[in-house]
This record gives sequence, C-alpha cells and structure tokens, in this order.
Amino acid sequence: MKPHGLSLRGLIIKTGILIGFIVLATWGVHMIRDALDLQIRPDNEQQVHKAIMVGAVAYVVLLALPFVPGAEIGIALLAGFGAAIAPLVYVCTVAAMMLAFTVGRFLPIGALERVLWALRLRRAANLVARAAPLSKDERVAMLLAGQSKWVVRLALQYRYVAIAVAMNTPGNSIIGGGGGIMILAGLSGIFTPTSTFLTVIIAVSPVPLAVIFLGLQF
Amino acid sequence: MPQILQIAAIAAATFGTGAATLTVMNEDIPDLAVPEGDWTASGALDGISFSVSGTDLSSGAELEDEIIFREGTFQSVDCEQYCNFGWSDYFTKEIDGVIHFTATALCPDAPHTVVWYGTLEGDELALDLTWTTRRWYWTNQIQIRGAGVAIPPEAVSS
Repeated sequence: MKPHGLSLRGLIIKTGILIGFIVLATWGVHMIRDALDLQIRPDNEQQVHKAIMVGAVAYVVLLALPFVPGAEIGIALLAGFGAAIAPLVYVCTVAAMMLAFTVGRFLPIGALERVLWALRLRRAANLVARAAPLSKDERVAMLLAGQSKWVVRLALQYRYVAIAVAMNTPGNSIIGGGGGIMILAGLSGIFTPTSTFLTVIIAVSPVPLAVIFLGLQF
Repeated sequence: MPQILQIAAIAAATFGTGAATLTVMNEDIPDLAVPEGDWTASGALDGISFSVSGTDLSSGAELEDEIIFREGTFQSVDCEQYCNFGWSDYFTKEIDGVIHFTATALCPDAPHTVVWYGTLEGDELALDLTWTTRRWYWTNQIQIRGAGVAIPPEAVSS
C-alpha cells in the first residue's frame, strides 16, 4: 500500500507552486496599482475621499457577511493607497468582526440549529440543540466532556487563541471567512464581548501593522 | 444587561477604540516650513500677477497656474477651481533686494491647507507650496515646486 505521507519531491513541487503563486499575486497587485494610476491631486481628492468612504462601508458590511470575500476590498485599499490607509483598514476590520459577532450573539441559537438541519449536518444540529438551553460555562463543559481529540480540547480551552488563529488562517473563507467565524462565535455563547473584542484587536493587526512598519514595496 | 445596552456598549467600545487608534496611528504631515523672519503685510506685490509653471515633486505631473496679488491679498487661479479659497492675506520681507512672500490659503469646504512661499528677484519668481489635506483617517500632502514670470493684470485668465 502506498503511504499517504508527502514525499520530498511532492513537498518541493508544492512549495514551488506556492512561491510561484505568491510571485504572480505580487506581480498582479503591481499591475493593478500601475493600471489604476492612483495619484491624489487637488482635482480628484474629493472623488478619492468619497471612493474611500464608500469602500470602507462596503468593506465593513461585506467582511461581516459569511462566505463573502470582503478582505479583498481591504487589500485593494492597501494596494492602492499604501501604508497611509492602513489605520482605516484596521479599524474597519475590527468593526466588521465585532458587527458579525454582535449579530451572532443576538441571533436565536435555534436559527443555527435550523441552518445545520437544512445542511443535513445532523450531529452538529443535535449538539446545538443540546447546548441551546445551557449557560456559557455549561456549554463549554458539555463540549469538553467526552472529547478525546486533544486538538479539540485545546481549541476549546484556549478558544480565544483558536479564534484568532482561525481568523488569520489563509483560505478560511471555505468555513465562512472572518464574518462567518465571528457570527458562529457570537451564536455559540461561549465568548464574552470584552474578551472577544480584545482578541479581535490583536488578531486583525498583523497585516495593517506589517504595512505600516514594512511598507508596501512595489 | 439588556440586549440593546450590550449592543450599545459593543458599538461604543468599537468606535471609541477605532477613533483612538486612528488618532494615534494617523501621522500628521507638517505644512511647508516657511523661513522665519520679519514678515509684514506690506502689500509690496500688490498689482502684480504671475504665470507659474510647477511640478508635483511626487508624481512629476506638470501644473500651470496664475497667481494674483492685490490689496494685500493673494489668490491662485488654479486652486480656485478645486476649492473656493477666496483671497488670502500675504506677507513679505525683503532681503538684499529679493522680495520673499508667504501666504496660507484655507479651504472653507474641505480640510485643505495650502502654504505658499516664494522669492521674487527682478521679474523671476521661484516658489514652493504644499497642499495638505487632513482627513479624519489620513493626511495627504502634495508638494509643488515652480517658477513664474510676471504678466500684465489684463492677461490673467480669471
């Protein structure tokens, strides 16, 4: 039987593909920036300001929606305007995450159960149904009970770290993206608003901070 | 705590922290540093107009303008197209036969501040200016360097 582990050759090929993708993406951003030719002049400053305001509102709303790739708007703003726009993108990202969390927190948990049933995720739906009437601490205890997988136990015990990692994991859009993750966090009832807010402030900071301190080297 | 108060608390914390973050992270760009000296509202350039060619030092874009001095005030024809700056007081000082002038124009409708500094030697004008826009989320500045020649008042396009 052929082993499932990745061979050295496979690893090299995959790493090469990843590096190629990054180089192509960087080149693409470079081309977009050149094509846009975003020069702020006295004659277009008002239009640029309006475009940034519309873009920022759209960014907050879209990023808060599950499965909607709103992060691209933030990246486009950073690519177009550079480090100067990073503080606004950072604040909008925090606002979007907290908007999604707040929506999730005040949605009835029965809504999640119905969504899971509609998706035919029966085990998850049953789990939510059992967790619904419990308090926050009871829910955590129930989720931890009987968990043999150390990864799950660790993620539940250090759930704020886990959610920070999930928010920053590339490709998280397949599990709902930042907005979907935060709506589920709110719905779960096991995250307090204050701790979640502090987690979000730290979790979404890497990209804007990198842009501020390292700049965009085009 | 009632739900509405919780939502209000989360919103207040988010917007408060956001405002504080932008205040701290939004780095101001100072206006053009005009040399200190004995600046006076002498009206020494009253009645003179200049045709000016300038370059945006960042993008390299070429700019054409006409500037007018009258009754102790100053106006840029080109800047008036983008904002109703009106007439701004200008100040002068003379050193070794060279007239130095400076003026600060404030846009009443948008957060634009334009600071001018120039020298007039004979009929030749050299000038620097910064157009600084201070929005709540960032500060943007355009630096322009230019030169000009005197033109008759009736030749001004405004």
